[in-house]
Amino acid sequence: MSKTTTVPAGGVRLKKQREPERFALIGVWIAVIIFFSFATDRFMTEGNISSLLGSQAVLLILALGLLLPLRVGDFDLSVASTLGLSAMLVAILNVEHGWNVWLAALFAILVGCVIGLVNGVVVVRWNINPFIVTLGMSTFIQGVIFWVSKSNTISGIDPVLSDFVLQETIFGVPADFWYALIVAAVIWYVFEFTPLGQRFLFVGQSQDMARLNGIAVSRTRVLALVASGGIAALAGVVLAGSTGSADPNSAASFLMPAFAACFLGTTVLKIGRFNPWGTVIALYFIGTGTTGLQLLGAQNYVQQLFYGAALIIAVILAEVLRKRNARRLQNVARQAALAAAKSGDGSTSNTKDNA
Amino acid sequence: MSTPSHVTTGAASGGPGTDVLRIAGLVKRFNGVPALGGVDLAVAPGEVHGLLGANGCGKSTLIKTLAGVHDADEGQVSVLGKEVAMPFGADGLRAHGLSFVHQDLGLADAATVVEHFALDGISSKGAVARIPWAQQRRRVADLLERFEVAIDPDARIDQLTPVNRAMVAIVRAVASQEQLREESGGERTAQLLILDEPTVFLPKADVDILFGLVDRLRQQGDSVLFVSHDLDEVLEFCDRVTVLRDGKLAGTRDVAGLQRSELVELILGVQIGDVQRPTDDHRARPEVALATSGLTGDMVKGVDLTIHPGEVVGVTGLAGSGIEEITDLIYGVRPAKHGTVSVAGEVVKHPTPSAMMSRHVVLLPADRKTLGSAPRLTVLENMSLPFLSQDFKGGRLNWKRMKSRAEEATKRLRVKPQDTSALFSSLSGGNQQKALLGKWLDTKPAVMLLAEPSQGVDVGARQEIFRLVREAVGEGASVLCATSDYEQLVQLADRVLIFADGRIRGELVGDQITKDALTTAIYAGVAA
Repeated sequence: MSKTTTVPAGGVRLKKQREPERFALIGVWIAVIIFFSFATDRFMTEGNISSLLGSQAVLLILALGLLLPLRVGDFDLSVASTLGLSAMLVAILNVEHGWNVWLAALFAILVGCVIGLVNGVVVVRWNINPFIVTLGMSTFIQGVIFWVSKSNTISGIDPVLSDFVLQETIFGVPADFWYALIVAAVIWYVFEFTPLGQRFLFVGQSQDMARLNGIAVSRTRVLALVASGGIAALAGVVLAGSTGSADPNSAASFLMPAFAACFLGTTVLKIGRFNPWGTVIALYFIGTGTTGLQLLGAQNYVQQLFYGAALIIAVILAEVLRKRNARRLQNVARQAALAAAKSGDGSTSNTKDNA
Repeated sequence: MSTPSHVTTGAASGGPGTDVLRIAGLVKRFNGVPALGGVDLAVAPGEVHGLLGANGCGKSTLIKTLAGVHDADEGQVSVLGKEVAMPFGADGLRAHGLSFVHQDLGLADAATVVEHFALDGISSKGAVARIPWAQQRRRVADLLERFEVAIDPDARIDQLTPVNRAMVAIVRAVASQEQLREESGGERTAQLLILDEPTVFLPKADVDILFGLVDRLRQQGDSVLFVSHDLDEVLEFCDRVTVLRDGKLAGTRDVAGLQRSELVELILGVQIGDVQRPTDDHRARPEVALATSGLTGDMVKGVDLTIHPGEVVGVTGLAGSGIEEITDLIYGVRPAKHGTVSVAGEVVKHPTPSAMMSRHVVLLPADRKTLGSAPRLTVLENMSLPFLSQDFKGGRLNWKRMKSRAEEATKRLRVKPQDTSALFSSLSGGNQQKALLGKWLDTKPAVMLLAEPSQGVDVGARQEIFRLVREAVGEGASVLCATSDYEQLVQLADRVLIFADGRIRGELVGDQITKDALTTAIYAGVAA
């Protein structure tokens, strides 16, 4: 062990842990980027980078919304269908019913929140595993999408929307990427600096413990599902804007990569915790990998191989890192306690303990 | 061993047979500390043998050793006169014919009775062999009829009453031994059933029903080792009784003609006098910090208690007496079936943890790891939980203030390490408990509900916890401390309520609170 535990006068204090593992994925990401920029000259082009950043924005917003129920300890498998329904609603209301596109978007987001509310109420009212509830909801919504669209792709959405999400570029990157970052920043703020974020965290650790500490557990869980529904619908609006149309078959493919990004994100920056910036990094790591492989001529199925493998590896990695981390912190704490005991409450000693 | 044993082989066995189980000089140490310091025990064929002792006497260590959970360090164990080599292995003495029914019974709520019995048959056959359900159902129906147990074989476990569940577990344990015997071709094994406190949660009428079954087992020549803390059940149903004290044999007696007081003496190791009458001085104070009226839950039955400001009220009793539940009921962890809780004279309409917290009533739960804390989060996060709303100023949490509050508390309470960014799980049990206590003390509670506050806490931390509780009481807080740790009550409590069978059955005040008086009162409470 090369860690240094300093015991200054007046008490025991541990040196800030460095935890190099939490930056490991960033290192791997950089390595992957370097690899692809040498492997193919089409990778490091402005067009490719901008399209990579922009094309993942819908997925990123979806994954960020998914973080909320995951932080609370609940799964939401209905987010991808909610995204699909939202895009479809914008298209139908705008194209077929002549609604103002912004009004349609607002309505779609509201519908997303209602879906989350139904999920949440069913989960807490009858105490049913959200995994099952949202799985059922997901299939139900997919049915609704086919029903209202008569299984047709609906195009011709007011270009105002697509201008807003896609055509506007900032630093050469489509606006939707920046919107996604704003969502990430908001969620980060909520997680780190609000009581709500802490309540999410504690409910996710132990519902019983949270309840004993006065947290309204049911309300918190419902809220997280409402938020994930609403944010999924927002992602749907962005999708409708970026394609100008809504395809009834497009939604399902978003589910797996969103989960992969969230879980892989728990190995980055804050090990063992669902965190927005970790998710952003994980998602672009996955995106870089699939885009690069496709540029090298890989088939489309590579994407699925990549997403599936990433999810499984992510959960294994998260668990291994978490355990390792906990064990190391325990060791350090034990040493510090021993040192304190040895030096008579640590009041006079300033020994350096190099184990 | 310290006390000579009074083994009278054959008294109830219908002839001088070989003992079914004979244990001699069994020693089991944990980290060098003996939990069993040389135990002797002999169970004769066809007898119901009680095993008694106070908390921590070694009963459960002994049973766990026989069941293969622990390996003994020294001693001899023989079954039907043949010595069994140690260690026994993971299955314990099951292969020699012992069967175990523990307090939790080991049944799955959602499965039926037949499915449970079939399980024992399945495991020995191939995984894909067809289960002959009709035959299984017949076999189970026959078994239940043979033991005169009126239960529908197709009933799900969660549809059964507690006593019927216990009977299912017992018949199942006996039947699986019989099956083993048949399959092994009649090789002679013990027919010994070990019942590990199966009656703790049962009312008296159900205990009688259960012992009807035990009696039928005895009639067919089986032996039963009945582990209990209930003197009356032992005196009523057992042929002989062995008492353990401090990990050693205190004595074995024939139950016929045995006096209750003699049994209590064996358990305590001292002579006992009458239970002292409580005096009234503490209750004379008019103000009331917290009171319950007719509070009833699963175990607690119609409890009225009153806690005055600045008072430490202890609650103690045997397992199953309701002391496990009383703090949860008051705090509203589960809704009470009947009765009310009032704080400072005002009835709390629907007690929930958040309602109680807002009235400055806090709970330190017994299960520190799963209910008291979030071990995977940091000390700071755990300690800041009650202050989230208070420290949310100007749209953001004031982590700086939260951190300085937590650091001040860990320093004052001498929590080590003092780094509040450490994971909560990295603290030792004692430091965890101090941190949690510190968290609540910072909320300036009016009433602290403590459930087994020094469980799994080292001696030093234990004293500090007592000191902290005393300090808070000095500042006007009241404490209700539910514990089976008598020593703790002697040090901490102004008044102790003795629980038995869910009710308050006695009270000790001030100087009356001694370890012996508590033990005596508890066993007297059971008798009342």
